[in-house]
Amino acid sequence: MTNNKILCNTGTVNLSIQDITDKIEKLEKAEEAKLKLTPDNAESGLAKLVLTLVELIRKLVEKQAMRRVDGGSLTEEEIERLGETLMKLEMKMEELKKHFNLTDRDLNINLGPLGDLM
Amino acid sequence: MDKIIYAILSVKEDPEKLMAQLNTMKGILEADLYIVSYEDISAVVSDINRSDLIADKTNALKFAELIENLAEQFTVIPVRFGSLVESSDRIKKMLERNYNKIQNNLLEIKNKVEFGLKVFCDPEKMKAEIKIKAEAEPLIESIKSKKKSIYTDYLLNKLKEHRFEEQLLAHVDCIILDITTHLKQLNPIQKFKKMVSATNIIDAVLLLEKDKKELCINVVNELQNKYPDLSFMLTGPWPPYNFVDINIK
Amino acid sequence: MHDNVVDRSKDITILELLDRVLNKGVILTGDIVISVADIDLVYVGVKLMLSSVETMEQLKSAKSIIEKNG
Repeated sequence: MTNNKILCNTGTVNLSIQDITDKIEKLEKAEEAKLKLTPDNAESGLAKLVLTLVELIRKLVEKQAMRRVDGGSLTEEEIERLGETLMKLEMKMEELKKHFNLTDRDLNINLGPLGDLM
Repeated sequence: MDKIIYAILSVKEDPEKLMAQLNTMKGILEADLYIVSYEDISAVVSDINRSDLIADKTNALKFAELIENLAEQFTVIPVRFGSLVESSDRIKKMLERNYNKIQNNLLEIKNKVEFGLKVFCDPEKMKAEIKIKAEAEPLIESIKSKKKSIYTDYLLNKLKEHRFEEQLLAHVDCIILDITTHLKQLNPIQKFKKMVSATNIIDAVLLLEKDKKELCINVVNELQNKYPDLSFMLTGPWPPYNFVDINIK
Repeated sequence: MHDNVVDRSKDITILELLDRVLNKGVILTGDIVISVADIDLVYVGVKLMLSSVETMEQLKSAKSIIEKNG
């Protein structure tokens, strides 16, 4: 069938069985997702789409905010208010996700470098 | 009957050779292969009933194998598995509408093949290395205040995460820069994805001339030696799947 | 032990190939990929959303892409 296409694969850390399993899961989910979009579940499909976008925007806003904080240009009070806003935003998002029964994985959001390493 | 489309290519070079090759091959469900053309570009297709197309691994691999065989002899634009079109007429119209895009793409990939380069790390080692760097940075004055609140605590945590992320990305960017420098002599077109998973820090695809394979292997071995804590995996040669992102409507 | 290495190589090759043929290559319909900052965010199958229910039923009956046994 297919020839072995691996040209170099040395080193101590390689594509682990876990990685392969994860990738296959991802491929499966992508195909499943395409198949599942019917008029019946179009609504939850829509919810997923909307929440995915909202979550992305929230993360971008958070990122931007962190850069400002790191930049050192904010006052104590501004930082306090920022913390409050961001925390409430995140809480709201969790609420929405629970309501529509969606996890971060469902939203197809890569948790970023942190997700797996933290 | 519907048509499955496998690949798009130019028939200018050697139409007879193409037909001869297609006659020796079979498509999904052992269907015969033929071409649907508009001027000098053609789509390689086979007939199928929509309901007969089972989207399973066997068919996907068969599909890929066909593309691979064609790519050995011709310049082909691989099509994603699962593309069904209702009629030859639709196909002709698609080719016509996207003629220029297709021609340009064919030119870009002519005589070139794709290689995949993935770089893996040990998450624990990486985490440890980066954490040290991230925590070395001084905290901002405004946060060091005595007045603590849940909001400030929350922010503090977010800040720690943020710094860790930034350090990690900077580290990965450094490695990518190094890889790019090493690969320069091969004159590749390259695309990089960062932080695909906890272990896979870099997922790159390279478009190179066919005869650069050995050179590429050497470069990757060099890089591996330079970074003993990371793993470099080079795969290929592949048909240029990652370098045909034209959208054909 | 040698067998394991060979098997994994085969697995990896198949994975790489499937990843390409299922996710890459030219798209021949009106599918849209919404992409922000190099993150492929959402793959919206416009074609699927507009398909008739009948077509959807046919697609639904297609077996899953990856057989459990690999």
